[in-house]
Parts: sequence; C-alpha cells; structure tokens
Amino acid sequence: MSMTKFIARRSIEIVITLFIIATLTFALFRMMPSDPVGLMVHPLWTPEMKQRQRALWGLDKPYTEQYIIFMRNMLRGEFGVSFFSQQDVYGLIKERLPPTVLLFTSMNILSFSLGMYIGRIIAWRRRGKFEYGSTVLGMFFFSMPVFWIGLLAIWIFSYRLDLFPIGGMKSEIWGVADISLLTKVMDIGHHLFLPLTVGVIISFPGVMLMMKNLMLETLEEDYITTARAKGLPEKIIRDHHAARNVMLPMVTVFTLSLVSSLSGSMIVETVFNWPGLGATFLAATIGYDYPIAQGAFIIMGAVLLVAILLVEILYAYLDPRIRY
Amino acid sequence: MDKQEPKANQQKKMWIQNTWELFKETKVGLVGMGILVFFMVMALASFIPPLIDDMYIPLYGNDPEVIGLSPPSLRHPLGTDYFGRDILSQLFEGAKWALIVGTTAAAASVFLGTVIGLVSGYYRGVVDTLLQRTADTVMTLPAFAIIVVIGSVLRGISIWNIVILIAVLGWPATSKVIRAQVLSLRERAFVESALVSGASNFRIMFRHIAPNVLPLSFLYMAFGVTSAILVEAALSFIGMGDPTTVSWGMMLQWCRASGFAFVAPFWMIPPGVCITLLALGFYLIGVGTEQIINPKLRKR
Repeated sequence: MSMTKFIARRSIEIVITLFIIATLTFALFRMMPSDPVGLMVHPLWTPEMKQRQRALWGLDKPYTEQYIIFMRNMLRGEFGVSFFSQQDVYGLIKERLPPTVLLFTSMNILSFSLGMYIGRIIAWRRRGKFEYGSTVLGMFFFSMPVFWIGLLAIWIFSYRLDLFPIGGMKSEIWGVADISLLTKVMDIGHHLFLPLTVGVIISFPGVMLMMKNLMLETLEEDYITTARAKGLPEKIIRDHHAARNVMLPMVTVFTLSLVSSLSGSMIVETVFNWPGLGATFLAATIGYDYPIAQGAFIIMGAVLLVAILLVEILYAYLDPRIRY
Repeated sequence: MDKQEPKANQQKKMWIQNTWELFKETKVGLVGMGILVFFMVMALASFIPPLIDDMYIPLYGNDPEVIGLSPPSLRHPLGTDYFGRDILSQLFEGAKWALIVGTTAAAASVFLGTVIGLVSGYYRGVVDTLLQRTADTVMTLPAFAIIVVIGSVLRGISIWNIVILIAVLGWPATSKVIRAQVLSLRERAFVESALVSGASNFRIMFRHIAPNVLPLSFLYMAFGVTSAILVEAALSFIGMGDPTTVSWGMMLQWCRASGFAFVAPFWMIPPGVCITLLALGFYLIGVGTEQIINPKLRKR
C-alpha cells in the first residue's frame, strides 16, 4: 500500500471516529433529567416565556431533527453561545486552542523522547544503580496524582521560592506596555515551565517502563543473538537492531498515551490556570455551561485524533511495515 | 528449570505455594504487599476515631476548642482542616474508600474484560470483529472527560456510579490481552478433548480456558486498581466527586477550594502521599505478578 493510500484510509477512519465522538457528545449532553432552559432563565419567567426560549433553542423539536441540526452546526463550526456569558463559543475556542496545542505537543514530544531514551538504556544495563533508580522513580511518578504534583510544584517553586509565576500564560504587562517579541516568547516560556515539567513527569514513566519491557522481550529474539555472534558492538545492537524493532509496538503505546495525556493535560491546565481548552472544558462542564463544554469536547477530540494521525504518518514514513 | 515437576502432577496447594515463593523472590511484589497491608490496617482502623469522640467524625466532626484550621497538636496529630475536622481520621476514612473504590472498579472492569476477551477469542469471526472494534473505539475515547460530562449532566454522581463508569470505560485493555491468550489456548489439545467429550461452548470457555488466563486477569486487576484510585482522586479534586464521601481526592479538593493549599502544608501533603503510596503498592504487586507470568522480564 502506498503512503497516500495509507493516509487516506487512516483519515477516513479518523473522520468516522470524530463522527462517533460528535454523536456521543450529542447523546451525553441530552441525558440531562432536567430542562436546560431551567438552568439559565430568571425564576420569575412565566411558562410562556420559557416555552418561547425552548422554541428559540430548538428544544421543542424531536431528537432526530435536533441531531441533524446539531451535526450541521458542528460541521460549520457554529457552536452556539454560552448559557451564561452569551459569549460566542467559536471565538472562545479559537482563543483557547493555541495554548492547549502548545502545552499538549511540547509535553508529549518531551515525554516520548525522554521515556524512550531512558527505557532503552535501562533495558540494556540491568541490575545497575541507574536502572534501579530510574525504575523506582518512574513508578513513583506513575502513581502520583497529577493535580497533587502540580500543587506541590506551585507551593515549592512559586509560593516558597518565587521562581515561577503561580499560574496563567502571560504576565499582566502584555496589555499595558509595548514589549518585544523576544520578551513575549521568554515570558510564555517562563509560564510554561512548571506545567510542562509536571506534564512530562506524569507521562514519561509509562513510556519508559513500556519501552524497557518491550526491549527485554526483543533481547530474546534470534536476530539479536545473530548480531551478537557477528561481533557487532553492543551500542549498535541496542540502537539499530533492538530499538528499531521495538518501535512498531511502541506506536500503539504512543497513541494510547496521547489519549491518557489528554486528561492529564486538562487537570494540569486547571491547576496552573493555563488558558487552554482542557481547563475551559472542565470549568464549563462543572458550571453547567453546556454550549462551551460541547464545543470544547469535540475540538479536543479532534486535536487528539489529529495528533494520533500525525504520529502514525510520521512512523509509516519511517517504517514501511506499518502501512500493511 | 529441571527441578520443576511437570505442571499436571502438582497439587493446587503446591501451585499456590510455588507462586508465593516466586512472588517473594520478586521483592517489588513483596514491598507492594507491605504497602497494601499497611493501608488495609488503616482502613480497618477508620471506625475507631469516631468512637473515641464525636469530634473525630470524618465528615462533620467538630472540636469545640478549635475554630477552623489548626496545625498538628496532641488532640489532632495531623491538625484540623478549615471546617475544624480532624485530618487524621479523615485520612483513615479515605483509606477505606480508596480501597473500596479501587478494588471494586478494577474487579468489575477486569471481569468485563476477561469475559469479553474469552468470548472474542473463542468464537472468533464476526463476534470477535464486532467486540474488538468496540474495544478499539472505547480505548480512544477520553474516558475522564466523559465521566466528568456524565457527572455534570446527572448533577453529581455517587461513588458507586464512579465505580461503574470506570469499569465500563476501562475493560478494553484487559479484553485485548485475554483474547490474544485465548486465541492460542483454544488450539491446544485439552480444548479439543473437551469438545470431543461433549462439553458445551460455555463450559469450555469458563471451565477449561478461563483458569489459564486468570493470572493475566489478576495482573491487569492490580494495574487497574492503580488507575481507578487515580481517576477517583482526580474526579474528586476537580469537584466531581461524591460530597458525602471522605476520600483523599475530596480532602485535596476541600483544601484547594478553601484557598489554604499553600498555607497549610499539613493539610495538603498527607492525602497526596497516601494516594501515591497506595497506587504505588498496587502497581508494585502488578509488576511482581508480571515477572512471574512473563519470565523474560525476570532478572537473570
């Protein structure tokens, strides 16, 4: 199968998954036992006024018709307006998407490279102090609740040592003074450091431990014995023979890790007050602002699927076996 | 290897003993067991503080001599929280709930995964394709976000609904591993002889094949408890927990919501340490089990 065909097939599959996610969103937000109109209207409204509001929102139509309208609006990017602030949801998402993409991508790239690098080394050097230390540390990080590491990090590095800002993405000076691009980038980096570190700390151990286990299984393979018999240097056997073959199952690990790091990054965003989509989604869902929650949910699903597609394309490009 | 007798000759007791010997050898598993026993004792002790005095009731106890937040003292070894409740007795109560939620959610999800994996691997064909496609889809769903939405739509969820949701969204991983095992097991001679002697499909699946995959199920259960504990804690922390249950995640939520997270470390640190240790304990038990099941991972 050619590369184009592979991308086309995966893209179709991803569109189908996105369709499922949109349908699920529609169904989930309509499981509500009570009436959404009751959420935001004034208690003094008469039943007629409520009825008019319901008709305005199309809630008096049958579910099938609502579903078709919902899907059409999602395709057009019309996510409606907030229940409470009347803010346009599309505008809000457009504003909150870049911070999430920044945090999510940098976090995953860093944790993948770190996890694979260390995992590869500790599988090769067993019984060493390094293996022992990094495995124990990895297991600890793996078992820590994200939000708690976040709180600890803020408490130690922002509150006590005053090294990093307590939250947010930009300093207040942005709106007031005219500052250079470099200062802006530095400022965002300064704000990004803690959330990014916490995100990497929670997501790299999974990759590392998985990489180690897969490498250990590969070591039993015949081609490793052959490579050893040929008298190749250990480093070449490790990096070129073992690690390359482990990459294929690792792609599955990557995609699953992307899914779980999405929930991780939502919590990281919330704890660090990062103005991203994940924090917006959680706050809107808990605050019953369903138009925002719906839109953010679907767009986050789309971000996740695009990330998975990118990982697969990148890897299919590197390793032809995956295309079959 | 040569010391081991053929498996068929071994009594069940011997098998358990051997497994325990191997488990002890793994050390990590033993450390995990130690942590688990510690928290089990803590959970069992959770009924004691309220008996001593009403002020030690975890959810609404109140010390008349303390107003709000107070640092550790003789009366309150870990201090009291913003509402004047004793932190140590809350910690005990949290151990109980973490163990209950973790084990029931993991057991339910592993049960689902094992049954689906057995059916999927045994019948193959259309059933298999259908079940595995479902598993793939569920696997790529952002489970945490879905639980939050359901919790919000239903106006708060009880701890048991959290357990059910974790199980319903968490079975695919187990089902995939079990299925792979069943695919190879069903080609073995013992399945054929069972078929010839007239055993029903149900009997072959659950009586003949299932015992062979149970160690794997157990392994996934240990890892499942870790993630269930972390999911419950995260849900409670963002305000989607059961407000009538004192869990460690809930304690951290109260701590952050009342604005004392960075002022009262004696309130913020203990619940997090407990979550980490208990989750780690189950994870270590899982690693120990994995080393028994998969000899390739053992140290040579």
